Amino acid sequence: MAYKLAAWMRMPRVLVVIVGIVLLIVFPLINTSEYLQHLVIVALLYAVLACNWDLTLGYAGVFNWAHIAFFALGAYAAGILAKSFGVSPWLCILAGAAVAVVASVLVCLPVLRVKGLYVALVTFAFGELCLHIVVSFSQYTGGSQGLVLIPPITIGSYSFMQNQDLGYYYLAVALFLASTVFLALVIRSHFGLSIMALRDYEDYAISRGVPLARQRLLTFMLSAIFTGATGAVYGFYLGVVSPELFGFGYTATLISMVLLGGISTLYGSVLGAFVLTFVSEFLVSLGPWRYVIVSSIIVGVLLFYPEGVYPGLQKLFRRLRVHAQPKPEDTVKGT
Amino acid sequence: MTVQSLEAILLTGLVLGSLYALISTGLSMVWGTLRIFNFAYGSFMTVGAYVAWTIADKSALGAGIWLGVVIAIAVLIALGMLSERILIAPFIKRRDVALIAIITTLAASLFFENGAQILWGPRLKQLPAMVQGNVRFLGTMVDLQDVIVMISAPIVLGLVALFLYRTRLGRAIRAVEQNRDSALLAGVNVPLIYSLTFGFSAGLASVAGVILGITRFITPTMGDAPLLEAFIVVILGGLGSLGGTMVAAYIIALIEATCMTFLGLYWTPVVLFAIMILTLVFKPTGLFGKE
Repeated sequence: MAYKLAAWMRMPRVLVVIVGIVLLIVFPLINTSEYLQHLVIVALLYAVLACNWDLTLGYAGVFNWAHIAFFALGAYAAGILAKSFGVSPWLCILAGAAVAVVASVLVCLPVLRVKGLYVALVTFAFGELCLHIVVSFSQYTGGSQGLVLIPPITIGSYSFMQNQDLGYYYLAVALFLASTVFLALVIRSHFGLSIMALRDYEDYAISRGVPLARQRLLTFMLSAIFTGATGAVYGFYLGVVSPELFGFGYTATLISMVLLGGISTLYGSVLGAFVLTFVSEFLVSLGPWRYVIVSSIIVGVLLFYPEGVYPGLQKLFRRLRVHAQPKPEDTVKGT
Repeated sequence: MTVQSLEAILLTGLVLGSLYALISTGLSMVWGTLRIFNFAYGSFMTVGAYVAWTIADKSALGAGIWLGVVIAIAVLIALGMLSERILIAPFIKRRDVALIAIITTLAASLFFENGAQILWGPRLKQLPAMVQGNVRFLGTMVDLQDVIVMISAPIVLGLVALFLYRTRLGRAIRAVEQNRDSALLAGVNVPLIYSLTFGFSAGLASVAGVILGITRFITPTMGDAPLLEAFIVVILGGLGSLGGTMVAAYIIALIEATCMTFLGLYWTPVVLFAIMILTLVFKPTGLFGKE
């Protein structure tokens, strides 16, 4: 039994990824529940946000509180362009990404001057600043009521809302896959190594010629691209963009996804996003108990699994694998 | 600008400033001593207000507002110390404790806000006023309640200063604030001081919560907006400077009152957060903080 389990676990990661992708693609064909499909779409979008946040939070070790603001600004930019100016949705998604990148540059300029906790405070203040600016321009943004009746994405006469939001589902899958490949490439690249070096041994990395300011600015910009695009898609999908997107609720949900999955683990954040989307959806009927439970999970994970659950699972798997491996004398007998 | 509007701005600024001074002091204490920002501070105000309401209100225990205040302070000190044990103490040795504390205290604020909604329900509540009536002040009619706020801020802050400068425990707190390692070598029980500081801070939060519960309404999320105001005040005032926090409270309140008159409700927070960012970037130690 243990042997079979170990054999399954030795399955190369490529195979796991391929099976995962195939499952994502055929899922709408075998699933009939609209509700389940909605949850998967939301989980995919959350996964993109969590993974991109992990790039700054985990891999670069910069506590960027404004990440959720990039998402909200992307959503607002796309929503306003589509609703008030009738711009094509695809251009709106690009514009959402572009606005998020511009915002990331703006917030990064003050961040370059400060360290540690002050980074968190500056970015936090930036998020609040953006929220109040958005609410102030109420003729475009709908003020505190939010932006409603955003037109859905269409190709010709086919609306993405048809067939239980099938278009949005595949758009979310595409966004998720593109973002994950992009992040995996960034992390494995020379650049990715350099930001991790800055995180772990800042002085040494700088003395070896890693440009701190440039890498930090680039990290912010790279993490904002797919975040802004996701904001745009989220706005189109729900048809509504509200100031709540800037709120503590989203920040807390996302941070618990990153923490549960394990900080600086790309696939951990994906896992965290899926698990928490479904868990918190099941908790919705509990009303205020939902956040009591979610906040307890956050503190509990930090207390008992400070590295996150995914690295904990990896460790467990590794131990099982060692146990299940054939003993050396067995192989000798065999030959 | 007419004289009347100038007077109105000054008066609003004075009342708001006193309120902000009350709200910010506890936050400033924790920021100075533990070097962390307590995002649960707003929810401590909320819980404090609810506890006082339960004791004071006729539909609950009906034992009067003053007993309510005393019990709220006691409950919140205990709650604050317990929170510190769970949210801060396990991580205090870690290099990134300030960042983890943001996450744990944010989680705690979600916990307390929603816990308050479960225990007390989402309906608006209000604490009975301590006094009633109006007085003439600076040529305008002023609610006597606002006068109480204006007077209570210097009194409460004076008591806090007396405690910090004249008692053994207060001196120990300031010693830890100024140099943790030296205080440890001198025999101060640093973990206990951390816990007590957090507790006192929560006790101060409950006082602020009661004042808010009288002048505004009690809701599960009533602490959110004052928490943000307190952040701005504490940053502007500077790290661990009680006097600085107080001066900054009145500066911010005057700026807010002025912006409200000339820019309106929506642009005022924009100005305030811009001030917070500029302070953090150009003078992170604040106006009166030590280097």
